[in-house]
Formats: sequence, structure tokens, C-alpha cells
Amino acid sequence: MKQLFFSAFAGLVALASVHAAEVGAPAPAFTAKDANGKEVSLAALKGKVVVLEWNNFGCPFVVKHYGPGNMQKLQETYTGKGVVWLTVNSANETSGAYLAPAAALEQTAKNSWKGSHYLIDSTGTVGKAYGAKTTPHMFVISKEGVLVYNGALDSKATTKSEDITSSDNYVAKALDATLAGKPVATGKTEPYGCGVKY
Amino acid sequence: MRTFALLAAIFPLMTLGAEIHSGHASAELLVSSSTFQSSSPVQAAIRLKVDEGWHTYWINPGEGGMKLGAEWVLPEGWSASPLGWPVPIRFKTGDLPGFGYVGEVVIPVTLTPPASATKAATLAVKLDWLTCDDKACISGDAAPSVELKPGPVDATPSAPIIKKSQALVPRPLDGLKLEVSDQGKSLLLKLTAPAGIDPSSLSSFPATAQIVDASAAVVFAKSDGNWTALVPKSEYLEGPPKALELVLSGGGLTHPAIVSWSKK
Repeated sequence: MKQLFFSAFAGLVALASVHAAEVGAPAPAFTAKDANGKEVSLAALKGKVVVLEWNNFGCPFVVKHYGPGNMQKLQETYTGKGVVWLTVNSANETSGAYLAPAAALEQTAKNSWKGSHYLIDSTGTVGKAYGAKTTPHMFVISKEGVLVYNGALDSKATTKSEDITSSDNYVAKALDATLAGKPVATGKTEPYGCGVKY
Repeated sequence: MRTFALLAAIFPLMTLGAEIHSGHASAELLVSSSTFQSSSPVQAAIRLKVDEGWHTYWINPGEGGMKLGAEWVLPEGWSASPLGWPVPIRFKTGDLPGFGYVGEVVIPVTLTPPASATKAATLAVKLDWLTCDDKACISGDAAPSVELKPGPVDATPSAPIIKKSQALVPRPLDGLKLEVSDQGKSLLLKLTAPAGIDPSSLSSFPATAQIVDASAAVVFAKSDGNWTALVPKSEYLEGPPKALELVLSGGGLTHPAIVSWSKK
């Protein structure tokens, strides 16, 4: 299978090919800065359930969920239950989807975003470690640091907000199970959305 | 959705249809006759013209992307056939492999009135699509419509365009057979083709999503007297595959073909 290869040269990371982080295995470690310049490290969050949400506010599949407040409601509900919700933007600095810290703060306010941290991963390091393909692409990490979900937010791969109510929300189900200390029934699905602009 | 209401307000009396531009494509509903007779199928097509530099998606969009959504709004008793998707092309959107179309794509469909239909009929379809380039994805929607009057066939200028599009829809071919066996991380596809077909030069596209890795080329080669292709499984396939449809073109085919396999 495809693997990550880290080059030893000058701290450069050469990604020969990328494979999505494996469900059931320890979630790849990372440290990244949020829009406020604060460092967030996964290791420091051990003991907490963590959500990773790949984001590009301009993507129609993201707009589908932010427009009617679906994503914000999930963020509010689960951070209220002690979950740490990390929204990640892995767009390259040359991409229109890239947000510099000030722009990220502006966009998160404008979208009434309710996550815990908005991580700016413009080198794509975190995105590639997880194999994040689309916006949105969702991951759930257990209190023990194990990846328990990798995939789509829900079951309908469309841009239409009216499909949300008739969709199966995989992330909510994974979070409910993990918070209750139960195994996640559906641990992997195909993510849908716009490609992450690495 | 607001767009639909808006369009309905702008074009309430349209009878011949027109292109509607939204996002990065224009959509139009074509009919081969401006009239219809009860119970007699009307040949029609959805025509999408994708702006230069952008692409839209096939029934299997690959990774990311989204196929065209079509919801018919027809008078009572009318029915629409499944859409006739033409052979796609392969592309990459950033790192994501996809199947779809650039430029103009004409998707034929048959609309059938009921025996009781005697009044003028407005036929409409609510479309929504995604167009992407390497930098962005933009969705579009439109609800093109046409009005048909009862009466003997009165061909429109679209009739030959629709006819040509029908000829480009893949269809089953006698003597063409597919078998799939599970090889762990890969699938072994075995193709039986009629005389005159060269499987090694076919272009093959998996129409069933989440079976074959969308980035993998499906290339048949002769081994032990059989035409086979070893392809990596989609990472989203759970358990053994149950069914696979391949769309084939080139390789000496006079017409694009579709070949289906399902687990017995």
C-alpha cells in the first residue's frame, strides 16, 4: 500500500504518495497554528475526543452545510459535550482558498463558525498526514488518540442544503458512539466535496 | 432553488426552450418535435455547455465531484426514461481523479405522455451540477422547460442533435462479457469480446462507483488466451465486489458499449 516517506533533507517533507490515515490505528500526530497564532498539538488533546473538519468556505459543498447552520450546530452541540473541534484549511498560499490569519478570523466570524480552533495548514502537512481529500472531509479521534472515523460528513454527496435532513450524519453517529465508549459502526466512507487545494 | 423560482418568473411563456447559464455552464432542454401524440415517446435531451477551462461530472464522478442531478417536473401521467450518459473522459482536479465532460455534453432522454394526454404540456427538468477546475468548484442550477402542443410530429432543429446523441450512448453488445474476481487488494477483470474488437486498445471506464480505484487505468492485455486487466480496488469498497459496469469505447467498436457483471 501507499505510505508516507519522510525525507531527511533540511526538514523537508517529501510526500511520495499519500494514504488516508487508517481507522483503528493511532491518529497521526501534528502541531499547527490556529488563526489566533496559538499552537495546537494533537498530543496535548489526549483524553479528549477530537474532530478534524477540512474547510474551504468558498466550496459549494461547504456552503451546503454552513449556509443553513448545519456544521455550526454540530460544532456547538459536540464542543458542548467536551469535544475539541478543529477546522483545518490546507489550501496552499497561492490558492484562492488560502486564508491568512486575519482573513480566517473574518471568515469564521462571518460564517458564525463555532469550532474550537481554525488551523491554518498552508504547507498541507496535516492534510497530507491524514490524506484529507475534500472540503469537507471529516475525521474523528477517540479519547485514546485512535482514529475512529474517516470520511464524509453525511450520506448525500450533493451541494443541496435541502438534502441534509434526509441524510445519515456519519460524524454525529461516530461522535455519539465514541463519547459513549462504544465502537463506531461506520468508520470509513468516501468523502465528498471540492478537492483540498494543496 | 431560488434560481428556479426566478427563472419561472422570467420565462413563463417560453415554448422553444433556451440556454440558461448558471455557475460555469449553460443548460438547455432539447426536444425533437414541438408536438406530441398520446402514448408516443418524445425524444429529448439535456444539453450542457461547460465553460472553457472547466469540467463537469459523469454518473461515476470519481473522487470529489458530483454527477448532474436531474429532477423532472412533468404533467400527470408523463414519464421520463433514465438519462443516456455519453462516454466520459478522465481528468484530475488537483490530486483527485475524476470522470466527466468538457465543452458540450448532450444527454438524451425519452419522455412519454400518457394515453390520456390531449392538452399542451410543459415539460421541465430541475438540474443541478458541479463544475470544477484546479482552483475551484462552482455549482450551477437551472430548470429549463419546453412546451409541447398535441399534434402530428413537427421536427425541431434539435432533432438531428438528439439523434446523434442517442447514437453515442453506450449500449450492450452481443458477445461482450465481463467477469470479475476478487484478488485481495485488486480485482481481476476478464473480458470476452466478439471478433473484430481489440480489447487492448479499448478505453474503459467504471460506471459503478466505489469498486475500482478511480485513478487506475483499466487496460486489458492477453494472458493465457484471456483478455484480463488487474486493477486496484477502490479504498471505499467494503467486502467483495457485487457488481460492476464498464463503459467501453474505441478498440474497433462501432458504437460505445456497456458491459455488466454481477455476483451470482
